[in-house]
Amino acid sequence: MDGGIAVLGQVAFWGLYAGCIYILLATGLNLIFGVMKVVNFAHGEFLMLGTYVTFFFFVISGFNPYILLFLSIPILISVGVVVERLCFRPILGTGKLNEIFISLGLIYIFQNAVAMIWTDEWRSMKSPFADMTISAGPIQLPLDYIIIVAITALILVGLHIFLHRTTTGKAIRASSQNRKGAMLMGINVERMDMLTFGIGAGLAGAAGTLWAVSGQVFNPYMGSVPAIKGFAIIILGGLGSIPGAIVGGLAIGMVENFTAFFLGGSWKDAISFILLIIVLLVRPTGLFGEGQE
Amino acid sequence: MRLNYLVYLALGVFLIGLILAAGCTQAPAPGGPGEIKIGVVASMTGPASTTGKDIWQSAELAAEEINQKGGVPVRELGRSVPIRLIQGDDESTREGGMKAVTKLITQDQVNVLVGGYSSAVVSAHQAIVADNKVPYIISGASSSAVSRRTDLDTSYMFFHRPNTDDSAEACMDFLAEVFRPAISAKFGFSEDRKLRVAVIYQDSPFGKGQLDAVRALITAKNLPFEIVAEEPFKMGESDFRTVLTSVKAKNPDVIYAVTFLNELVPMTQQARRDVGLTTLILAIENNDDPDYYSGVGTYGDGMIMESRFSPYAVPAGSTEAATRKFLADFDKKYGGFAGMMGAATYESVYVAAAAIEDAGSLDRAKIRDSLARIRIPQMMEIMKGGYISFSPDFRESKFELYVVQLAMDPASGEPRPVIVWPDSLKAREFAIPDWYTPGSP
Repeated sequence: MDGGIAVLGQVAFWGLYAGCIYILLATGLNLIFGVMKVVNFAHGEFLMLGTYVTFFFFVISGFNPYILLFLSIPILISVGVVVERLCFRPILGTGKLNEIFISLGLIYIFQNAVAMIWTDEWRSMKSPFADMTISAGPIQLPLDYIIIVAITALILVGLHIFLHRTTTGKAIRASSQNRKGAMLMGINVERMDMLTFGIGAGLAGAAGTLWAVSGQVFNPYMGSVPAIKGFAIIILGGLGSIPGAIVGGLAIGMVENFTAFFLGGSWKDAISFILLIIVLLVRPTGLFGEGQE
Repeated sequence: MRLNYLVYLALGVFLIGLILAAGCTQAPAPGGPGEIKIGVVASMTGPASTTGKDIWQSAELAAEEINQKGGVPVRELGRSVPIRLIQGDDESTREGGMKAVTKLITQDQVNVLVGGYSSAVVSAHQAIVADNKVPYIISGASSSAVSRRTDLDTSYMFFHRPNTDDSAEACMDFLAEVFRPAISAKFGFSEDRKLRVAVIYQDSPFGKGQLDAVRALITAKNLPFEIVAEEPFKMGESDFRTVLTSVKAKNPDVIYAVTFLNELVPMTQQARRDVGLTTLILAIENNDDPDYYSGVGTYGDGMIMESRFSPYAVPAGSTEAATRKFLADFDKKYGGFAGMMGAATYESVYVAAAAIEDAGSLDRAKIRDSLARIRIPQMMEIMKGGYISFSPDFRESKFELYVVQLAMDPASGEPRPVIVWPDSLKAREFAIPDWYTPGSP
């Protein structure tokens, strides 16, 4: 590799890839929080389920794993809808502690269920584009990562169009901005809750597919750490703010990788929370958060 | 107010942390009179769960074999008694290990402990073992800092594994005797050119122990090596792209990787596939596991690994028959081959049985004394002197170590290891892959 700039460019590219996974995870989390004000700590398990759904269908069908996004997203949306209906709707408004303990219970249920079905062995899969690399000067850009960045951008554009151009999307945003007002305007907010939770889970499922396709290993317990970082990102970006989740996810991805490069990999996880503390000290509502509800 | 949500978020994150630190403990299992209870400390969950399962299944196989032969003769009881294994899942964490070992000792009242994998995890529960004076045959925890600590009484702990100094020495000897001359000859380097070694190590006692051992060996043996990079990573890491990019920029001739199995597979894949490294990775013995070969796939072709038990490279000689029988029995029972940690734990159960028979008692102190003087013929792993025994100073057994090189096997579609060092065990010569390029001249 030629020179330090090229090395830094390569590190930035790895940061961009990591940021994409975080963005999808945190956007879903923030969408759910924005509408329902629900804190779902089992959100990382949706990512984990996404990896296994992709892995399972990849093994039995041999399809291009990117095509499997069209399976993993709908399946995870369905899982999200079921979870919302069965677990969160009955306790909505009964207190945050109930939500927290329901989501903690879900972590165990999902982890054990997946371990029972697929065992808790570490798994990985190989993309058909794994050996293809595009050279951008001295920087090596594996094709898979370029596709992952492009897919993430497409999903975010699609989500933006859905939320801003469709009636349902506008209803979701209205529910997020003023739940009572939305109800008075005839919006079925419970339906919006269900839909939003499903979309959030679907985004995490997409993140899971991209995680698996990128060649990273996964097992039933892998969701917790990304979930904790997802929460750090939404606090960093501002609770309920989708632009905040995008900027926060990118920031964490970049900072983690540059920290690993300059200070060593031991600091990679810690730096996310150091950054979070710094941002909260300067701006307690997060980068894009508002002062009040 | 959003502040309230922040408080709840913080509470939730704290509780998730508790979940990560917590574990699934087994229900109390009172043993009947006249049974030998062996606690198996294994990482059944968490980052090291693949190896943990290997440890547990191999221990099960050994106990079954012993029980099928009538159990272990215990003189004080006047009869043979069966072994009952009790699983202690350390969850790949220090806290999980402390909890599991406490339960095995105080609740299950085990006679002996075997297993233990991560140095960090084992070091955290050593004090519990020392306080309760339970014989513990540790088949992992290779860090010398674990076996040679002086801040607590380790007299009940016996280490059936090479320590970090032993495995690092084998690796450095291989690099000096075989690797450096090979690349010098192929690329026409001058005799005084130093071998450029990059060390990527787990940020744990295991990894730091290996790094310290490498540094000390280079100095003590005056090896013509230069450490061009020292890159730590967190235990359980799966994204090594940035660390590997940093290493690539340092132009090493070889990467010395101190990892667990679940780390080495993505590291090797990302090195070759994503970062485009054309450098060989020399890994440590704990990765010699069937899951490594199936996981790493074509990216493992040409890579090298220090080992003492390999599922696919069985050294010819006195241990060959026992090794092949163990592998066949394991495959029959569980479907697939055991790895090195499994073999060491299998042997440890036999060592425990032999010590109990020699002691003629289930008394922990008598079993400890028996372990201290035990001398039984080597089983599958090749021991120095041909016997399993523990050194009088730090109670460590001594192994004949070797180095394997991986080559793609068209039949299985996976790489397979071949012993290339030392001369007494090698099946073929070490070969530099066509894709390899050395570091800066």
